[in-house]
Formats: sequence, C-alpha cells, structure tokens
Amino acid sequence: MFTRRGIRVLGMLTGVAAVGLCAASWSQQAQEFLYGSGPLKPSEFHFTRLAYQGRNGVGIGRRGRWLTDWPEAEEHLLGGVHRLTRIDAGEQGRAVSLMDDELFDYPWLYAVEVGYWYLDETEAARMRDYLLRGGFLIVDDFHGSREWASFVDSMQRVFPDRPIVEIPQADPVMHVLYDLNERVQIPGLGAVMSGVTYERDGTVPHWRGIYDDQGRLMVVMDFNMDLGDAWEHADTPYYPEKYTALAYRYAINYILYSMTH
Amino acid sequence: MFEWLFKYPRDEFTHGEFVFASTWPQWVLVAAFLAGAVAIVSFLLRRREMGGLKLAAIGALQLAMLALALFILWEPSLVVRSLKAGENAIAVMLDTSESMGFTEGEQTRMQQAQAALGSDALGRLGKDYALRRFVFARDASATEDYSTLPAPGTETALAGSLLQVLRQARTSAVGAVVIVSDGGENAGTLDQEQLAEIASLGVPVHTIGVGREKVPEDLELQEVLAPERTLPGTTLSARVTVRHDGAGVARLKVYDGDKFLASREITLPADGTVTTAFVDFGLQEPGFRDLNFSLDGKEGEAELRNNARATVVEVPQEPSRILYVEGEPRWEYKFMRRALDDDASVRLVSLLRVSPNGFYRQGIDAPQELQKGFPTDAKELFKYDALVIGNVQAAWFTPEQQQMIADFVSERGGSLMMLAGSSGLGDGGWGKSIVGELLPAQLPADGPSFRRERAAVVVTARGSRSPMLRLSDDDAENARLWGSLPELADYQTLGALKPAANSLLNVKIGDRQQPLLVTQLYGRGRSWILATGGTWRWQMGLPVADQRHEAFWRQLARGLVADTPERFQVTARSQGDTVLLRAELRDEAFKPQQGVTVTAVATRQAGEPLTVDLRPSADQPGVFEAEVPAAESGLFSVEALARRGDQTLATTRMAMRHESGRAEYFSVRQNRPLLEQLAQATGGRYWTADQLDGLPEAIRYSAAGVTQQEIRALWNMPALFLVLLLLKAGEWLLRRRWSVV
Repeated sequence: MFTRRGIRVLGMLTGVAAVGLCAASWSQQAQEFLYGSGPLKPSEFHFTRLAYQGRNGVGIGRRGRWLTDWPEAEEHLLGGVHRLTRIDAGEQGRAVSLMDDELFDYPWLYAVEVGYWYLDETEAARMRDYLLRGGFLIVDDFHGSREWASFVDSMQRVFPDRPIVEIPQADPVMHVLYDLNERVQIPGLGAVMSGVTYERDGTVPHWRGIYDDQGRLMVVMDFNMDLGDAWEHADTPYYPEKYTALAYRYAINYILYSMTH
Repeated sequence: MFEWLFKYPRDEFTHGEFVFASTWPQWVLVAAFLAGAVAIVSFLLRRREMGGLKLAAIGALQLAMLALALFILWEPSLVVRSLKAGENAIAVMLDTSESMGFTEGEQTRMQQAQAALGSDALGRLGKDYALRRFVFARDASATEDYSTLPAPGTETALAGSLLQVLRQARTSAVGAVVIVSDGGENAGTLDQEQLAEIASLGVPVHTIGVGREKVPEDLELQEVLAPERTLPGTTLSARVTVRHDGAGVARLKVYDGDKFLASREITLPADGTVTTAFVDFGLQEPGFRDLNFSLDGKEGEAELRNNARATVVEVPQEPSRILYVEGEPRWEYKFMRRALDDDASVRLVSLLRVSPNGFYRQGIDAPQELQKGFPTDAKELFKYDALVIGNVQAAWFTPEQQQMIADFVSERGGSLMMLAGSSGLGDGGWGKSIVGELLPAQLPADGPSFRRERAAVVVTARGSRSPMLRLSDDDAENARLWGSLPELADYQTLGALKPAANSLLNVKIGDRQQPLLVTQLYGRGRSWILATGGTWRWQMGLPVADQRHEAFWRQLARGLVADTPERFQVTARSQGDTVLLRAELRDEAFKPQQGVTVTAVATRQAGEPLTVDLRPSADQPGVFEAEVPAAESGLFSVEALARRGDQTLATTRMAMRHESGRAEYFSVRQNRPLLEQLAQATGGRYWTADQLDGLPEAIRYSAAGVTQQEIRALWNMPALFLVLLLLKAGEWLLRRRWSVV
C-alpha cells in the first residue's frame, strides 16, 4: 500500500529519472531521493529493496510498485532486527536495481508486488548470477493465480530448470532463530479491513522457494501473503498485532538464514 | 726466496711469537728513537733552503733508517713452539666409506688416498713421529696398516669418527690428525656444536681431499622437503634441491607409488651449484602415500642412484575439525561456511550468537555439542584442531576460557585465527587479554581500528610461496590472480608485528600497505590474524565459475589444521641400520601422560614384523623411545598402542621411508668446503692429495702433544740489511739528484 510520503517520493523519482538516468547509476540516484544526499553509514546488513521495471514496459520509477510499503516497512522491521538479533543492520534501507554495479554488494534482496514485475533476459541472467554467487531474494505481496503466473513468467527466465517447491517444515529457514511451526496467512491491510486474510483467489498461503545444488534456499516466496504490510502497519492500531509479530519472526529467520547458509 | 730473505720458513712466522731478545728495556728503544728523531729534524731545519718537500723526503728516509737500526740493536727474535721429534704421535684417518670406491679417470678415490698415504711427505712424518692408523666410515677403528681394508661403510660419520679418535688421544701425546677423505659426511654428525667440541680439544686436524670437486655430467637430488601430513585434495608444495655443475634443464617427476603425480622442468643456472625449486601436486587417497621424486639422468651420467629420493606423506581419513566462534551474523561467516562445505577434509563447527540470548550451531556432530555455548572445559575445547574467533569481544569469554584459548595454542598445539570486526581484535579488547600475548601482532587500543572501507589485497613475497595462498602453480599467473581480486569489504589496522611473525597478505590503503594475514609459531601451535571480515566480496564480486574465494578459504583452513598434533603420535628417524622411534602421549587435556606402557609393531621392508616396548624418556615426560633394527631400505611402518594395565588408552600409526646405505651415492663430489671448515676450525690446513710437501713442516708447529721451545734470531735476516741498504742508497741518490750535501 502507498503512503503519502511514498507517493511524494514517487513523483520526484518520476521527474528526475527521466533526465538523470544516464548520468549516474540508478541506485545512486535512488538512494539520494529516498534517503537524502548525505553519506550513508555502512553496516554489515542492509534491507535492500529490489527496484524492477513493471510489465508492459513500465520502467523503474514510473509506477514504483517496487516501492510499496516504503519506507515504514523497512524502518519498522529494522527496529525489530536491532532489538531482537545481534545483526549490525543499517538504520535505513537501500535500493538497488539488477543492472547496478552495486548489486553484488548487497547479498540480501527484498522484492515486493512481484506479480507486476518483469525481468527481461538480461536482467534474468543477472539475477541468476546474483543468486548463484550466494545472493538471497525474498519476494512478497503477490496474490492469486494471475499474479503467480506473472511472477513465474520472469522467474522461469532466471531459472528455467530449477523447480519452485514448497519449503518443508523441517527446513532450517523455519528454525534458525524462531521455530515457525505455525503456518498462518499474513494478510495485507486492505484484506484485514475487508474482514478476510486473502486477496483475489489467493486463499491458501504458500511458503515456496528455489534451492541451489547444495540444498540451500536462494529464493523465498511469501505467496498469497503481505509481510510488507504487516511490518509497515506495526504501528497501525487496527492491524492485528499477531500478524505483525509473526511477520517479524519470518523476516528475521529469512535474514539469519541468508547470513548463515 | 722467502727463506733466503727471512732465514726461516713461512710457517715459523705463522706459528712463532715475536719478541725482542735484548735485555735493554723497550722504553729505552722508544727514547733513543725520539732523541735521534729530534736530532735529525733539528739538523734538517738548518737547511731550509732545500725546500719543504725535499727536507721531508730526506727526513723520512733518515728516520726510517734510524728506526731500523734501533730495531736490529734490540735483537728481534721469534719464539717457536714445535713438536718434539720421537715423542709424539700423529693420527692418520682413512675414509673407507663406499663413496671412496667411485672411479675417477683410471683411479678410484681409495687408490688416490693410498697414493697420498704412500707419498714422501707421509714418509717423513713417519720418521719424526709415531703414526697411529685408523680407518673410519660410521665409526673409527685402529688398524696396523692400510694393506687390508674393511668392507666399504654405508655411511660416513666424519665428525663422530674424529671425536672418537681425539678422545682416545687425550691420554697420549697426539700432535695432529691427518684425515684422508672425500668429505662425504652423511650421518648428520657435523653441526656447529660438534665442530666447537672438536676445536676445543686443541689438536690440529689436517685434511687431505680426494675426489673431483666438480662433476659436470652428474645431477644430484640433494634434498626433498615435503610436509609429513596433508589433507586430501590439498595442493602440496615440495621443495627440491638439485646439485649440479653447469647450466642446463633438469626434469623432475613425482610419483605416488607407481602413479604419476606431477613433473616440472628446473632451469639450472651456470653460476650456481645448488638450485632450489618447488613442485606442486595434490594427494587424494587417504593413507600413507609413498612419494618418489626422480630427476631424469643426463647424458653420460654414471651415477643415477643419486637422482632419486623418496618420502612418505600421511593423508588422514578423518576430517579435521575447526571451531568457529562468531559474535554476530555476518556475510563472512556465511561465505566461509559455503567455501568449506564441499571440502571433505575439514569440518567447520560454528557457534554463532544470533541474538542476545541465542546461539545458532552448525556442523555439530551431536545435539549436545556446544549446547551451552563456548566450552568451559579444556577437554571439550581441545577436541578441535583449530579455533577461529570472529567479531567477539574478549570480555564475552571468562578469564578461564581466555586461558583455555591460550593453552589451546601453546599446550594443545592447535591453530588460533582471529578475524577482524567492530568487536574483534583491538576493538574487542583482545590486545589487553592473555590471548593478545600469543597473537602475531600488537593490537592498538587507542580508538576504533575497524573500518568498513574497501581495500585491495596484496600478496607478499613470502605469501606468494606459501602453498596456502597458491592460486596457480605458475608464479606470474598466481600474481595476476591475486592482483585482480575485488576489493575487501573492510579491514582492521594492526600494531607492530611481533619479532617472529610474518605477513603473508597485505592490504593496500592509499599508497601504503599494512599486514592483513599474519602468523607466528607460539608454543606447540600457531597463531594467525586475518585483519578483515570482508573476503566475501571476492565471492559476490566474481563469476560463479571463479573459485578463488573457495580456494583461499579451503587452503587456509587446511593450513590451520595441517600441523596440529594428535594426542598420541609416533615419529621415526633413520640412523644407519636402525630406526629411532619416539612416541608422545598426552591425555585429553594434552598434559603428558606417564605410568603407561607403549608398545609398537614395526613392519620393515624385509623380515617379520617386530614388536618392541618403548621405554619412557628420562628427561621428557610423556615421551617414549625405542630403537628398531632395519637393515633394508624401504617403507617402514609402525602401529603403536598405549596401555595402562589392561586398558587401551590410544592407538596410532605412522610410516616413513627408511634409507639405509643409500647415503653414499650422494657423495659424488668431494666436499671440499667441509674439509676446509674442519681444518680451519682446529688450526690445521686443507691439502690436495698431490701437493703434500709442506705437510710435515705444517704439522711440526702443533701446540698439541709434547713440544719444545726454540728462539730464532731475526736481527741478521738479509731482508733487514737489504732494506737498510736501500734506504741509504735512496737518500744518496736523492741528494745527488737535488745536488745537496
């Protein structure tokens, strides 16, 4: 969901991206607009948002679905990471696109609303390289069969031969810090307001993933769920606390897994 | 000529002591010279019209004449101490080792030696002194004459045999020792300590060298140095030393039994006689690998037996275990684990603090392992072969745990590696801890030393030769591979290196470099610092197929555990036809174990397996020793068992290459430097077999044995009068030329 602050920044990005894309790397410009021009304090871990272009040729920054829930989602979650783990995490998030040189400096990526993403062959190859070198990708906030199909369309360009599988309960990602034995669908705010926990035809939550040859998860998919909303609305009185708490736990397990496997 | 000018042979001047025989005191000599000098100067000053230069020349000549005349008046003399004829003995030692049988031209070395012994010089010695004859190889033994010689010895213990003879000579008047040999010492007895002992006995040793000093048609594989133990798949770097006389190219081949492993060409420069090279290869199969190194023979090379050497390398079956303690989740942890995941020879057991109250353990053998965190008992910690401490403050460990970490290195003999981090090294307070004492560098404590800044890594000269840091067998390619790595994500500054420390990698910061990977030996183990937590950028910054990050960590991890001792281990050393066994047994806390029985079953190249009981060492607790006879060269293996009563405490195995009788093939060249060193250290001289005329005279001035003192007057030496005449004639000629009276 968009916040007012997010919409303001989107507007700025749209204008400046048109004139400045060639001058410096995309991530440098995005960082400046998202977080100001001052130097960012480097840390071991950064919540790194993947900037992708939308379907139908919509470029980065035009529609900005990749910015959904920004910045409250990462700000709230990083507070939890600071409080509950020993990870030296940057206080602000980062943003990077697949074609940026800086991509490989961020071994952890978060992509949101991936039912609307589009990776061309070049970007897919770049994502494949990133993941095989040891990068880790979490995709979130996509619902129903149509968005799944759209997501898979690009994901299959990344890994044509690797299956997308359900993550078994025994997988370490479910136990690194928290034993997440309870599979609860984490809804977005809109669904909660409607009195349900799902959107479109995505009634059943899925924790799916893609593994490498050594059995390590490279991609985690929170399908038919919206963890981003749960982080973003941690301070929203009418968003149920139990979903936020669980979303924090999933996120921390994902981060710890990515830093240990 | 020398004797005509100076009246006496040169040796008298070398060995004699100069004195003035006159009873007049020497201060009178000085006073007389000064008075004469004043008179000469006063006289010449009256003739200033001659000019300063001419006056100085005439004055110098007159002063020299005055000095010489006074010198003669005070009766200069030599006090010479020499052996008393008829009352002294000379020990003659003939080398009868196998290498004396080498044929050179038409004669063997032994025939050359016999000719030297039958020379006039030796005959003259025999007239003045009693000759005591000895033969030697491994030991010395007396003989009546050299017409009948013992069987050629398979080993030459030159120093040991000489000491035997000299000790016997203490009770009698032996004036000197004459050794006839090719200098092919190969029993390892001539070290600096032995040389000092020989010199302290005060008997001059004269050495007569036989055999060619250069043999251009021969190549000799002088030495092969390879680690005793390596992990499966590790690249092993063996150092080989080739002896040669002349330029060329030698091809070295390495075999594991009959299986070919590697070969390399070694360029032999014209200006060197010893060339060292490294050959790299890997061993996959576990067990004791019987490695054979051989050089292809040169055209016309007669002695090929010195072109080959063999050694045994153990490839253990069980993986070594490294405990990695990390204070916070970080990328270095993940990517190090990944790099070591596929390495069957090393298991990384990690203890990671993921939350203020929680650990995450990986690589553990049992659910109980490290369940309560870092071990609090030495027995538990000492099960690991190496310890890696990441971004953890020293204060997180109790004082007892810090002491255990120090003991892990010094007593257990393990490796400790500290990594960089905001709570690591100096910033973690390690510099002030007991562990700081064993680290290879000082750790600064004056403010943050950890920087999250990119920096390039540079391999040092020492690092480029370390097998741990070899990314390619080719030196140039190795340098290129290191030089093209992505920058590190961070680094930490260190203080001064400790005196015994070496830096294998540096980090480049602007125009300067600082140590990055540093190591030193400490106690029985070794300590390391890797002053970064950011090598993960190598993995993320390089294509998937590039294995440099993996190779770095695998080789480093193997290097950490390669020399870690076991609780019970046996080593063996060849000594002639015997193998000396040494077993060391420690308990779980690695304290020496006593009151136990150690038995070994030795399997030799020939004969039945032999069971021996090892006896406790008198001066080293926990050490047991035995000698096993082994006449045949070849593979020698041991299975040892330690027991207390009926209870078996530990078992172990080892194997080695026992070389008996092959050492003599490696003495193709006369070792003249060794013979010269021996002679020089004792006050004797080195002689060639065909120039022995001066030998009797040189021996005469020995201070050992029964000596006599003689005074030789020097005042009437023709040389002195000749100089006097020349000085006077010079003055006369100058005066005549300058027309002055």
